[in-house]
Amino acid sequence: MSDKFRYDDDISKKFLLATLLWGAVALLLGVLIATQLADWRLNLGLPWTSFGRLRPLHTNAAIFAFAGNGVFAAIYYSSQRLLKTRMYSDLLSRVHFWGWQAVIVAAAVTLPLGLTVGKEYAELEWPIAWAVNGLWVVFAVNFFQTLRVRRERHLYVAIWFYIATIVTVAVLHVMNTIQIPVSFWKSYPVYAGVQDALIQWWYGHNAVAFVLTTPFLGLMYYFLPKAAERPVYSYRLSIVHFWSLVFIYIWAGPHHLLYTALPDWAQTVGVAFSLMLIAPSWGGMINGLLTLRGAWDRVRKEPVLKFFVAALTFYGMATFEGPLLSIKSVSALGHYTDWIVGHVHGGALGWNGFMIFGMAYWLVPRLWKTPLYSTGMANAHFWIGFLGTVTYLVSLWVAGITQGLMWGATDIAGKLVYPDFVETVLRIVPLYWVRMAGGLLYFSGYLLMLVNLVLTVRRAPAGVQDEAASAPPLVPATVGNLGGRPHRMLEGLPGLFTVLTLLAILVGTVLEIAPTFFSGGFAPETPGVKPYTGLQLHGRDLYVREGCYTCHSQMIRALPAEVKRYGEYSRAEESMYDHPFQWGSKRTGPDLARVGGKYPDLWHYRHMMEPRDLVPGSIMPSYSWLAKDKTDFEIIARKLAVMKKLGVPYADDDVRLAVEDARREARRIGRGLEAQGVKPGIEDMEIVALIAYLQRLGEDFRKGGVK
Amino acid sequence: MSAKEKRIEEVKSTGHVYDGIEELDHPPPPWFVAMFYLTVAIGLAYYAYYEIGPGPTQGQELQAERRKEELAELTSLAASGGSKIPSEDELQAMGKDPGRRSAGAAVFSTKCASCHGNRGEGGIGPNLTDRHWIHGGRLTDVFNVITQGVPVKGMPPWGALLKQEEVEGVTAFVASLAGTNPPGGKAPQGELVEKR
Repeated sequence: MSDKFRYDDDISKKFLLATLLWGAVALLLGVLIATQLADWRLNLGLPWTSFGRLRPLHTNAAIFAFAGNGVFAAIYYSSQRLLKTRMYSDLLSRVHFWGWQAVIVAAAVTLPLGLTVGKEYAELEWPIAWAVNGLWVVFAVNFFQTLRVRRERHLYVAIWFYIATIVTVAVLHVMNTIQIPVSFWKSYPVYAGVQDALIQWWYGHNAVAFVLTTPFLGLMYYFLPKAAERPVYSYRLSIVHFWSLVFIYIWAGPHHLLYTALPDWAQTVGVAFSLMLIAPSWGGMINGLLTLRGAWDRVRKEPVLKFFVAALTFYGMATFEGPLLSIKSVSALGHYTDWIVGHVHGGALGWNGFMIFGMAYWLVPRLWKTPLYSTGMANAHFWIGFLGTVTYLVSLWVAGITQGLMWGATDIAGKLVYPDFVETVLRIVPLYWVRMAGGLLYFSGYLLMLVNLVLTVRRAPAGVQDEAASAPPLVPATVGNLGGRPHRMLEGLPGLFTVLTLLAILVGTVLEIAPTFFSGGFAPETPGVKPYTGLQLHGRDLYVREGCYTCHSQMIRALPAEVKRYGEYSRAEESMYDHPFQWGSKRTGPDLARVGGKYPDLWHYRHMMEPRDLVPGSIMPSYSWLAKDKTDFEIIARKLAVMKKLGVPYADDDVRLAVEDARREARRIGRGLEAQGVKPGIEDMEIVALIAYLQRLGEDFRKGGVK
Repeated sequence: MSAKEKRIEEVKSTGHVYDGIEELDHPPPPWFVAMFYLTVAIGLAYYAYYEIGPGPTQGQELQAERRKEELAELTSLAASGGSKIPSEDELQAMGKDPGRRSAGAAVFSTKCASCHGNRGEGGIGPNLTDRHWIHGGRLTDVFNVITQGVPVKGMPPWGALLKQEEVEGVTAFVASLAGTNPPGGKAPQGELVEKR
């Protein structure tokens, strides 16, 4: 009576090999940009190797290429077995695989070229971003059709987490990639200012939740009991922490925006839900660790279990640290510092990395039907990786807290103790070296794994076939076979389960984000806020292109020391025409919200050519190509037209005369520079547009247009 | 595992098995449940404190901090007897004091040299060694320009960032630059001031 079928193991192999390959790339990029922070010369003076362009490539590669492919390998392998069926469509699986790799390659080409939207972890320009949306649909159709053709009545908890992942990532990514194209490789998001910030961090925070947490919990629920050969500790705990995690996580985004121009209530909601998130997050860790009862003696010997145990522990640490950092007073100290960078790497290296390593060491021998080449090497990898992660975390805790304290330090007369920003940078540069060493260790361990796995695969017997399996076909659902308890019944009804999951994530989404659509994006109509001139707007796009936001914020928080250092705190209205917002999330350099008018044009020119001429010790790369590359004046008219469509109050004449106006403004700035000895012809170069933008920052407030 | 432990686990199985993975029916650990309720309560209380109760908005928080600082400033001012703006004569005297001048030189090299040159020869900003002055050539003028800046021309106000004695030191150092005529000096700007 049993159906006989084969699992599609080839697709799991493909995704696993892809994650191993891209993981190496992501880590190598990480080590490179970490070294660039320690020694600016490693930026090499080239546009496509400078930190601002490579940092987005590193984060995207780590999240979507390394973790993403790892998650897909796990989902394709475990779902088929948990549902007792081959994937619905081999073709869709392959379209998903090759499409995803094509997206990664496209990202690897476009990001160093400076083609970016300028929103963190959502940098990919619209053609690629919408390709991702399309591929996600392919993946979702394949997955849900597989649910339909399953031979197992009830869905295991791993599958719940996969469902939550697929549904939520779709909502997040579509919502955050609504853009209007200016050209094939340039677009503006429809949201601006506070609204854009809120949607971005709702997206950014939940990318962490639904790309780096829920699918990994699903992975854990399958591979950990498999590897430990132990039953899962608590079914009820699974239910409790699944639903609470999915419902609560989605609300927590605003904790990335504390003391900013986001309204107080939204900030407080973000903090409150972040605090509530501790237990739901820990539920997964506890269930995993308690599943190992009776198998702890094997943890000592088996690298797979070691990786899983350490990963769960790092997960527990990061999910406690996160809510802690969300508390307003802690955020005041930690935000914009390297503490946050350390925090995300606790998750990325310790949790995501180690889960994937554990899975790979377990999966490769099974997929290729060959014992692991060397358990000793795998154990060595564990200890090297562990040491690397700890080194990384500790160095950035110290760096972040040190710098946060230095920024906030005032003397008895209320003056800043360290008024020079660069002083606070130079203090932590030694720690950047330590962090780099930690990353390098982690990377070395990774290479050890690659060698080990390659040698394993090379010893594989020829002609390994997809695994054969058999299971009785699914009997149609009846009240009798669904099970007595309500949740048990729900587990037998994937459609209803999916709808409820969607509702769970939509509650927080709607309640937080909908108000921005009814309140003019939280920024009152203010005539004193003027739109950018064409040249300034173009300069702003250069700011985005060079990834300035990866090191500079444009959001002065309502904190005393911050107001002393940078000027009056930023108001919501000031960024109301900013598509996209550029508030930033990290201050490797100082805030720039009010930098306009602070220095002469010549200062900016010389600073961009060689920052150290003006700020001794600065670690900023030099941007000398901006004085060699010509401004594309012609595109400015189209840019203004798109902005006008988005509601920025440009007159028809502004758009019609955009190119002329921009040239005139460039001539004025260029002549001023030339009079002071800058080479003739500078007015045609991009640097002039960038200077126009930088000098514009904070102008509305300076001129009294914003109260 | 002993036979007894095994029996307990059998009793506690849910009977669900997926691809060989069995689910046990342990209740969630009590401390976990307690932590869950506690954090939810703390979260709600946090929200209630700030949005319903007396918790300050970030604007109020900033205002309170500023008031506290103003008070501290006044107290420290009262304690020190208050520092007053130096007169031209006092600044002239400081300009001749080698200690003041070298202290000022140190500040100058980190804060001013990037625009005015290491020896005051000028660059982005004007030459400080000649006899031409844009905003007045008396040392009280120099003191004021350093303190308040000339924002339209990109000279930042340093009053909020430097202590008064540091501004005095820089003024003293600038006084000592007069007539030094360093190499690469920027062309004179502003009005000729014959004598300070």
